[in-house]
Amino acid sequence: MPPFKDEHVLIIAPGSQISLAQLGLPESFTPARLRIPTRMFPAEKRGEWEATRIRERKVTNTLNKTEANGHPRGDITMGEANITMDGQAAAEDQEDDPKYEEDPTSEEGAVYPLRDGRIVDWACFFALLTHIYNTMGPPFHTPILVISQPAWTAQDHESLAQFIFEKFKTPAFCLMDSALAVCYAYATPTATVVDVGHGKCDVTAVNEFLVSDFGRGSALPGCGGEAMTQRLHDLLGGKGFTSDVCEQLKKSPICEILPPGTEMPAEAEAYAHASNPAAAASTGASGSGTGQRGSIAAQGGAPRGPGINTEVGDADEDREFKDGEDDEGVLDVAAIVASGKTSEFLAKKEREKAAKAAAKKDAADAAAVAKERSLPNSKRVKATFHYHERRPLEELNMNGKRAMDGDSGQDGGEPKRQKTPEPSVDSAVQVTENTAAARKEERKEERRRNREGTAFIRKSADVGLERFQAASGGILDQIADAIHRCILSYPDISKRSDLWDSLIILGNGFKEALVGTLNSRYLISPSSATIFTSELPSNFTTPVATGANTPQPQHHPPSHHGPGVNPLLLAATTASNPNLAPPGQSQQQLHQQLQLQQYHQQQMQQAHQHSSHAQTPTSIKLLKMPDYFPEWKDVGMEEAGFLGAQVAAKVVFVVDQGISKGFMSRTEYNELGPQGIHETCL
Amino acid sequence: MFRSLINTELHSAMATGQASTKPPDANEYGGDEISALVLDPGYSTTRAGFAGEDVPKSIVPSYYGLIPSESTPKHAKKLFGDNSINIPLPRISISNVMSKEGTVEDWDTAANLWEYTITSRLTNTKPTPLASNGLNDPNEDIAMEGVEEQEKPLGENPLLMTETGWNAGKDREKGIEVAMENWGCPAFWLARNGVLAAFASGKPTALVVDMGASTISVTPVHDGLILKKAVTRSPLAGNFVSNQLRLLFASSQPPIPITPHYLITSKTAVDAGAAAQATYRTFATGTEPHPSFRHFQEERVLTEFKESVVNVWTGPGRLGGHSPQGGTNMDVAKQHPGKPFEMPDGWNQMFPAIDRYRAIEGIFDHKMALSDANNPPPSPGQTITALISSSLSQVDVDLRPHLLGNIVITGASSWYAGFTDRLQQELQAAHPGVRVRMVASGQMVERKFGSWIGGSILASLGTFHQLWISKKEYEEHGPGIVEKRCK
Repeated sequence: MPPFKDEHVLIIAPGSQISLAQLGLPESFTPARLRIPTRMFPAEKRGEWEATRIRERKVTNTLNKTEANGHPRGDITMGEANITMDGQAAAEDQEDDPKYEEDPTSEEGAVYPLRDGRIVDWACFFALLTHIYNTMGPPFHTPILVISQPAWTAQDHESLAQFIFEKFKTPAFCLMDSALAVCYAYATPTATVVDVGHGKCDVTAVNEFLVSDFGRGSALPGCGGEAMTQRLHDLLGGKGFTSDVCEQLKKSPICEILPPGTEMPAEAEAYAHASNPAAAASTGASGSGTGQRGSIAAQGGAPRGPGINTEVGDADEDREFKDGEDDEGVLDVAAIVASGKTSEFLAKKEREKAAKAAAKKDAADAAAVAKERSLPNSKRVKATFHYHERRPLEELNMNGKRAMDGDSGQDGGEPKRQKTPEPSVDSAVQVTENTAAARKEERKEERRRNREGTAFIRKSADVGLERFQAASGGILDQIADAIHRCILSYPDISKRSDLWDSLIILGNGFKEALVGTLNSRYLISPSSATIFTSELPSNFTTPVATGANTPQPQHHPPSHHGPGVNPLLLAATTASNPNLAPPGQSQQQLHQQLQLQQYHQQQMQQAHQHSSHAQTPTSIKLLKMPDYFPEWKDVGMEEAGFLGAQVAAKVVFVVDQGISKGFMSRTEYNELGPQGIHETCL
Repeated sequence: MFRSLINTELHSAMATGQASTKPPDANEYGGDEISALVLDPGYSTTRAGFAGEDVPKSIVPSYYGLIPSESTPKHAKKLFGDNSINIPLPRISISNVMSKEGTVEDWDTAANLWEYTITSRLTNTKPTPLASNGLNDPNEDIAMEGVEEQEKPLGENPLLMTETGWNAGKDREKGIEVAMENWGCPAFWLARNGVLAAFASGKPTALVVDMGASTISVTPVHDGLILKKAVTRSPLAGNFVSNQLRLLFASSQPPIPITPHYLITSKTAVDAGAAAQATYRTFATGTEPHPSFRHFQEERVLTEFKESVVNVWTGPGRLGGHSPQGGTNMDVAKQHPGKPFEMPDGWNQMFPAIDRYRAIEGIFDHKMALSDANNPPPSPGQTITALISSSLSQVDVDLRPHLLGNIVITGASSWYAGFTDRLQQELQAAHPGVRVRMVASGQMVERKFGSWIGGSILASLGTFHQLWISKKEYEEHGPGIVEKRCK
């Protein structure tokens, strides 16, 4: 068999909403070249599928006909379209010559073969794979790598292997777990991968590139982005927000999921400012004044104690992070870059500076306005966002703007966020000040424009505190619980703290909140009971070569010692100065006591050497995203699995060429049948 | 391709079988291309996977959730799997399909749960697509029969199920009934989990000590056959230790409350021994989970405690005895290091060594067990050493040294630090002059899934294929065949 080449490798990563695919491995790995919605449309003939919806459509001869394979012409004028819809329909019926045309924007009748990660319609799924394969048009000698969802069963793997080998006649096939692919992307052998998708969330512990099936949270239902949209819709539905608008709101930067303990901006804040605007201005933009504290109590929050990881501490961290201060921690850098909000931070910083300057220059009344402007989104009661309202298909199809939406999947890894406009803070202030009447006027204008046939209406609306509550339905708690369960089910107890220290969270906007939830619910603080006993003081006896006196720092000496004073501590503090030894207890006695204790410690250690039991987590950290793939920097690591797939494909197909059995070859398939996939899949 | 091949083979086998009256050929089921499924139900978890693999792919709690329906109280919604039973849904209650004896209590739900275990990770609930994807078009009549076949979830895979050494005859028959009638398995076998654990350790003759969640059992195995009369068991296993911990917490001054994670919104670091300062989650009246849910969640905390704090006293002698240096072992234990533990609500304390030893000492020394009205003190015959002695006394005297030289330790609850060493000491003291040797895997996975792994080995052996009870044999002889064949 000739060796596989970079440019021949085909990678397919099916997802519940979007499937990614790419033919060939570029020099530096890029985001997927092909992004298509994971859906097919039933064709005329039963059992056949089409990639786009085919509509039967009566078209007058004067209009351009649709081409067999191309897209329908987009340059139809509105006038003609109206005629088609209204006037000419009856006339065409007589023609008795139905035309078919593709409608790339319609989702009507679409079948999504993957639901919550599971394959629910095999015929449709196979048709989709075939469609992807044909779109890419790979040469004959093409190895295929498919990213498998954690929810797929062993039998699903077999069916897929059989289909790929028998339909595409591929020389080599590799099936790779999505969580493992993410580890390849992050170049880490050990990680806890939390992949929040459309309708579900997968939580997987991976150690030494081996996926652990124990306690794996595969396809947690109702823990995906869809549930957050639904939650927003539940909250805002009464105010006339459709679920489509809620989806756009969720993707807009004003919709944030605040870490636990961050108090919502309260209406009362406004009064606090009014009462003492000068003070507010002088304390800066962060809003840590008394008014803020008061609002915690007002909301019936928890009692907040001083110290690390208290709720106040969290809020402070969060604020620093939001303000884009020079906090170079692993978590923050990764989160900022990954969430794609970098520009927003910079903008905020600018605004803040402006606000401070204004406050200095002007008198107290100006400060109040500046304060309002300088507030980060998370401190504002209301914020405005702009959204596109989609028009019905008929209008949409007429105006030639459809490329903006329907085909955006084709243009190679355009980040989703770019589709949503940045919120304009200036207008936010205006709109908040505006009355409802102003908005009514705006809507009137929309309607007018609608009549003119504009497909995408840029609208704006202001949203109250609901925009912080996308995850208030308990999603974060569920995901956090699944992470806790998953890691605590990992059989090798000594590996659990590594798993806690290498979290990878895929998905935007809730990373900080999720880590905050984990911290506030599960983090084990250093116990004050061990504060003096966990480490031996440095001026304690120098270890001698026999090892008999070697301290055993991993063992905590007991907490009871008769008189209540820890002899180790006592020995340490009095070793250099015998005069400090308490009366009635000679240094000799102390040494005897210590030796006895050490003897027992050694005994203990011998007794349970294999036991490294300890509670986890004592720390929770996010893994830093790799910085050596420049193309991925702007896009974020949401689709890190695809990057990992390219790394794996390179290793498995091109570098290794099958020596380590990273893939299943056609010969192996012929010998072992579909079941052989279990021995070779990654 | 392979599936339809097997289907064809099966159907032709059935056709010839129906026509003739001669007894079925033992070698009738010839499906070595299809991997068998191995199902190992336990009190804490149910394990399932394909034979020939080294660990079970699907591990599902044997606990299930029940959501009572408002309109028809009798028809409660059942929830299976870790993902659903850990969410504090309104009025959820948690039950277990197994009885405390380690046998099936609720057959209907058990069948559902096992089906979930197998279909969620291994096979698929949907009929196999291979017949319908046009790649292998079978001829007409096979396709018709195939449809019926495929409506059953396990129509393609032979199933090896494990059972305890004391499983009652009617439960064994029920097992094959479920497999054959409900699931349409082409072949079935029922194996003793003690025997399988011995296989997993590569020992045809062994004394298997299986410390599970609800039961600790001692099973003598000789040449791969169970010595059924000598099987002994007692409830001093993992859950007993949990209850000891509950008693310990309740008896400490002040009592230590166990607040499970789901009740905590966030916790605050507090000093050791200080009262917890946490934000608690509240539930609206009428939507609180059932107390059984709380109990189940508390068990998660106790598991963590057992993993990180509890330790077996490794002697010399028993915790309640005297040390060689003079004085009691209790005094010696007081000198040993404690270990800190933090509860979900942030309460934390250094647990002194004496408590860490005390919680589990009861399984070796009945006098040391804590008890109250609901947890009666164990009898002397229930301790692990007594179980082994009484089991040995019921086997042939010549076999005893051989068994003592091959003691296989299995079960997740045997993973306590120092457990094996202590057992070794106790047995050596009880049987001086005999070489006592423990076979205990250092891999937690192997310890935890010992009987499943044994089943996986057994079902993948080529020679085992002759042993399967085929569907046809079942149809001919009825469920009673399991008593005759699976000794």
